[in-house]
Amino acid sequence: MPSPNKRSRSLRRVYVKTPGGKTTLHYRKRKPKVAHCSKCRAILKGVPRERPYKMVNMPKTAKRPERPYGGKLCSKCMREMFVKKARS
Amino acid sequence: MIEIGRICLKLAGRDAGRDCVIVDILDNNYVLIDGNVRRRKCNVFHLEPKTDVIKIKKGASHEEIKKEFSKLKLDVWDTKKKEKTERPRKIRGKKKADKVEEEKPKKKGAKKNIDAKVVSVTDKEKAKNVPKKKETIKKVAEPKKEIKKGE
Repeated sequence: MPSPNKRSRSLRRVYVKTPGGKTTLHYRKRKPKVAHCSKCRAILKGVPRERPYKMVNMPKTAKRPERPYGGKLCSKCMREMFVKKARS
Repeated sequence: MIEIGRICLKLAGRDAGRDCVIVDILDNNYVLIDGNVRRRKCNVFHLEPKTDVIKIKKGASHEEIKKEFSKLKLDVWDTKKKEKTERPRKIRGKKKADKVEEEKPKKKGAKKNIDAKVVSVTDKEKAKNVPKKKETIKKVAEPKKEIKKGE
Protein backbone atom coordinates (compact mmCIF):
# COMPACT_ATOMS: atom_id res chain seq x y z
CA MET A 1 0.00 0.00 0.00
CA PRO A 2 1.35 3.45 -0.83
CA SER A 3 1.51 6.00 1.95
CA PRO A 4 -1.70 7.97 2.70
CA ASN A 5 -0.59 11.20 1.00
CA LYS A 6 0.02 9.25 -2.20
CA ARG A 7 -3.43 7.67 -2.05
CA SER A 8 -5.11 11.08 -2.28
CA ARG A 9 -5.32 12.90 -5.56
CA SER A 10 -3.73 16.12 -4.40
CA LEU A 11 -0.54 15.05 -6.17
CA ARG A 12 -0.56 14.36 -9.88
CA ARG A 13 0.80 11.10 -11.18
CA VAL A 14 3.51 10.89 -13.80
CA TYR A 15 4.63 7.72 -15.48
CA VAL A 16 8.40 7.76 -15.78
CA LYS A 17 10.46 5.30 -17.75
CA THR A 18 13.51 4.35 -15.74
CA PRO A 19 16.92 3.56 -17.21
CA GLY A 20 16.29 -0.12 -16.46
CA GLY A 21 13.33 -0.13 -18.83
CA LYS A 22 10.53 -0.26 -16.26
CA THR A 23 7.75 2.29 -16.12
CA THR A 24 7.19 3.55 -12.60
CA LEU A 25 4.72 5.92 -11.00
CA HIS A 26 6.07 9.22 -9.73
CA TYR A 27 4.08 11.73 -7.70
CA ARG A 28 4.53 15.41 -8.41
CA LYS A 29 2.83 18.62 -7.34
CA ARG A 30 0.06 19.89 -9.57
CA LYS A 31 0.70 22.60 -12.14
CA PRO A 32 -0.88 26.06 -11.75
CA LYS A 33 -3.80 27.28 -13.84
CA VAL A 34 -3.36 28.32 -17.46
CA ALA A 35 -2.75 32.03 -18.08
CA HIS A 36 -5.76 33.95 -19.38
CA CYS A 37 -6.27 37.28 -21.14
CA SER A 38 -7.24 39.85 -18.54
CA LYS A 39 -9.82 41.41 -20.87
CA CYS A 40 -11.58 38.55 -22.66
CA ARG A 41 -10.42 35.60 -20.52
CA ALA A 42 -9.13 33.70 -23.54
CA ILE A 43 -6.31 31.24 -22.97
CA LEU A 44 -2.96 32.90 -23.63
CA LYS A 45 -0.61 31.13 -26.00
CA GLY A 46 3.12 31.20 -25.50
CA VAL A 47 2.87 31.36 -21.72
CA PRO A 48 4.17 28.13 -20.18
CA ARG A 49 2.22 26.38 -17.44
CA GLU A 50 4.89 25.58 -14.90
CA ARG A 51 5.59 25.91 -11.21
CA PRO A 52 7.52 29.01 -10.15
CA TYR A 53 10.78 27.17 -9.54
CA LYS A 54 10.85 26.18 -13.21
CA MET A 55 9.74 29.62 -14.42
CA VAL A 56 12.63 31.20 -12.54
CA ASN A 57 15.16 29.23 -14.54
CA MET A 58 13.53 30.04 -17.88
CA PRO A 59 14.72 32.97 -20.00
CA LYS A 60 12.42 35.98 -20.14
CA THR A 61 11.67 35.46 -23.82
CA ALA A 62 10.38 31.94 -23.18
CA LYS A 63 7.84 33.13 -20.61
CA ARG A 64 5.69 35.48 -22.70
CA PRO A 65 5.20 36.66 -26.30
CA GLU A 66 7.46 39.58 -27.11
CA ARG A 67 4.91 42.24 -28.02
CA PRO A 68 3.43 45.06 -25.95
CA TYR A 69 1.15 43.62 -23.26
CA GLY A 70 2.53 40.15 -24.07
CA GLY A 71 1.51 37.68 -21.38
CA LYS A 72 -1.27 40.01 -20.15
CA LEU A 73 -3.59 40.54 -23.12
CA CYS A 74 -4.33 38.29 -26.06
CA SER A 75 -3.25 39.60 -29.46
CA LYS A 76 -6.83 40.42 -30.49
CA CYS A 77 -7.50 42.59 -27.44
CA MET A 78 -4.15 44.33 -27.85
CA ARG A 79 -4.95 45.23 -31.47
CA GLU A 80 -8.40 46.45 -30.55
CA MET A 81 -6.90 48.68 -27.91
CA PHE A 82 -4.37 50.24 -30.30
CA VAL A 83 -7.00 50.75 -33.00
CA LYS A 84 -9.32 52.47 -30.55
CA LYS A 85 -6.49 54.75 -29.44
CA ALA A 86 -5.58 55.62 -33.04
CA ARG A 87 -9.18 56.42 -34.03
CA SER A 88 -10.10 58.41 -30.94
CA MET B 1 -5.86 54.79 -47.83
CA ILE B 2 -2.76 52.69 -48.46
CA GLU B 3 -0.33 54.88 -50.38
CA ILE B 4 3.33 55.83 -50.28
CA GLY B 5 3.96 58.35 -47.51
CA ARG B 6 0.93 57.42 -45.40
CA ILE B 7 1.70 57.33 -41.69
CA CYS B 8 0.35 54.22 -40.01
CA LEU B 9 0.21 52.53 -36.63
CA LYS B 10 1.63 49.05 -36.48
CA LEU B 11 -0.69 46.57 -34.82
CA ALA B 12 1.16 43.25 -34.81
CA GLY B 13 4.42 41.95 -33.42
CA ARG B 14 6.97 43.50 -31.14
CA ASP B 15 6.71 46.88 -32.93
CA ALA B 16 2.96 47.08 -32.22
CA GLY B 17 1.79 50.50 -31.10
CA ARG B 18 4.57 52.35 -32.97
CA ASP B 19 4.26 54.78 -35.88
CA CYS B 20 5.58 53.96 -39.33
CA VAL B 21 5.47 55.20 -42.93
CA ILE B 22 4.69 53.24 -46.04
CA VAL B 23 7.78 53.47 -48.22
CA ASP B 24 6.85 51.11 -51.02
CA ILE B 25 3.90 49.03 -52.14
CA LEU B 26 5.15 45.57 -52.95
CA ASP B 27 2.02 43.59 -53.57
CA ASN B 28 -1.73 43.49 -53.17
CA ASN B 29 -1.24 42.62 -49.52
CA TYR B 30 2.27 43.72 -48.61
CA VAL B 31 3.99 47.07 -48.19
CA LEU B 32 7.48 48.16 -47.14
CA ILE B 33 7.48 50.22 -43.95
CA ASP B 34 10.04 52.32 -42.07
CA GLY B 35 10.10 54.91 -39.30
CA ASN B 36 9.77 54.09 -35.63
CA VAL B 37 9.85 50.39 -36.54
CA ARG B 38 12.38 48.08 -38.05
CA ARG B 39 12.42 48.62 -41.84
CA ARG B 40 10.58 45.59 -43.17
CA LYS B 41 7.89 44.04 -45.29
CA CYS B 42 4.46 44.19 -43.64
CA ASN B 43 0.96 42.93 -44.27
CA VAL B 44 -1.61 45.67 -44.89
CA PHE B 45 -3.93 44.15 -42.29
CA HIS B 46 -1.27 44.73 -39.64
CA LEU B 47 -1.39 48.50 -40.20
CA GLU B 48 -3.87 51.12 -39.03
CA PRO B 49 -3.63 54.12 -41.41
CA LYS B 50 -3.63 57.57 -39.81
CA THR B 51 -4.65 60.94 -41.24
CA ASP B 52 -1.16 62.30 -41.99
CA VAL B 53 0.69 61.82 -45.29
CA ILE B 54 4.36 62.67 -45.86
CA LYS B 55 5.91 63.54 -49.21
CA ILE B 56 8.57 60.95 -49.84
CA LYS B 57 9.90 59.14 -52.88
CA LYS B 58 9.18 55.51 -53.56
CA GLY B 59 11.73 53.40 -51.70
CA ALA B 60 13.11 56.38 -49.76
CA SER B 61 16.13 55.70 -47.55
CA HIS B 62 16.02 55.54 -43.77
CA GLU B 63 17.85 58.87 -43.41
CA GLU B 64 15.31 60.70 -45.56
CA ILE B 65 12.51 59.33 -43.39
CA LYS B 66 14.44 60.38 -40.29
CA LYS B 67 14.37 64.01 -41.48
CA GLU B 68 10.65 63.88 -42.21
CA PHE B 69 9.87 62.27 -38.86
CA SER B 70 11.91 64.87 -37.00
CA LYS B 71 9.71 67.58 -38.59
CA LEU B 72 6.62 65.83 -37.22
CA LYS B 73 8.37 65.27 -33.88
CA LEU B 74 8.07 61.52 -34.05
CA ASP B 75 10.64 59.08 -32.75
CA VAL B 76 12.73 56.99 -35.13
CA TRP B 77 13.96 53.47 -34.68
CA ASP B 78 17.71 53.28 -34.91
CA THR B 79 19.63 50.07 -34.80
CA LYS B 80 22.72 50.41 -32.73
CA LYS B 81 25.77 49.07 -34.47
CA LYS B 82 27.94 47.00 -32.27
CA GLU B 83 31.44 48.28 -31.95
CA LYS B 84 33.98 45.57 -32.37
CA THR B 85 35.82 45.11 -29.14
CA GLU B 86 39.25 43.59 -29.27
CA ARG B 87 39.39 40.28 -27.56
CA PRO B 88 42.24 39.58 -25.23
CA ARG B 89 43.85 36.82 -27.20
CA LYS B 90 46.25 34.38 -25.71
CA ILE B 91 49.66 34.18 -27.26
CA ARG B 92 50.88 30.81 -26.17
CA GLY B 93 54.63 31.10 -26.03
CA LYS B 94 54.93 34.72 -24.99
CA LYS B 95 52.49 34.88 -22.11
CA LYS B 96 53.97 31.96 -20.26
CA ALA B 97 57.44 33.28 -20.82
CA ASP B 98 56.41 36.70 -19.50
CA LYS B 99 54.84 35.19 -16.43
CA VAL B 100 57.90 33.10 -15.73
CA GLU B 101 60.11 36.11 -16.13
CA GLU B 102 57.93 38.21 -13.86
CA GLU B 103 57.49 35.71 -11.06
CA LYS B 104 60.56 33.61 -10.85
CA PRO B 105 63.34 36.15 -11.05
CA LYS B 106 61.97 38.04 -8.05
CA LYS B 107 61.94 34.95 -5.91
CA LYS B 108 65.17 33.58 -7.25
CA GLY B 109 66.83 36.95 -7.24
CA ALA B 110 65.78 37.57 -3.66
CA LYS B 111 66.92 34.16 -2.60
CA LYS B 112 70.09 34.43 -4.56
CA ASN B 113 70.96 37.73 -3.00
CA ILE B 114 70.38 36.39 0.45
CA ASP B 115 72.24 33.21 -0.37
CA ALA B 116 75.00 35.12 -2.00
CA LYS B 117 75.54 37.15 1.14
CA VAL B 118 75.41 34.11 3.30
CA VAL B 119 77.57 32.14 0.97
CA SER B 120 79.99 34.93 0.62
CA VAL B 121 80.45 35.01 4.37
CA THR B 122 80.55 31.27 4.75
CA ASP B 123 82.78 30.76 1.76
CA LYS B 124 85.46 32.92 3.23
CA GLU B 125 85.35 31.00 6.44
CA LYS B 126 85.21 27.71 4.57
CA ALA B 127 87.99 28.80 2.33
CA LYS B 128 90.13 29.32 5.40
CA ASN B 129 88.98 26.15 7.13
CA VAL B 130 88.60 23.59 4.38
CA PRO B 131 92.13 23.38 3.09
CA LYS B 132 93.37 22.71 6.61
CA LYS B 133 90.91 19.87 7.02
CA LYS B 134 91.95 18.36 3.71
CA GLU B 135 95.53 18.41 4.78
CA THR B 136 94.68 16.68 8.01
CA ILE B 137 92.67 14.03 6.20
CA LYS B 138 95.51 13.38 3.83
CA LYS B 139 97.89 13.06 6.65
CA VAL B 140 95.63 10.57 8.37
CA ALA B 141 94.93 8.65 5.19
CA GLU B 142 98.52 8.22 4.10
CA PRO B 143 99.78 6.30 7.07
CA LYS B 144 96.94 3.74 6.80
CA LYS B 145 97.92 2.95 3.23
CA GLU B 146 101.46 2.50 4.23
CA ILE B 147 100.38 0.05 6.87
CA LYS B 148 98.37 -1.90 4.38
CA LYS B 149 101.25 -2.01 1.97
CA GLY B 150 103.45 -3.24 4.65
CA GLU B 151 101.13 -6.09 5.51
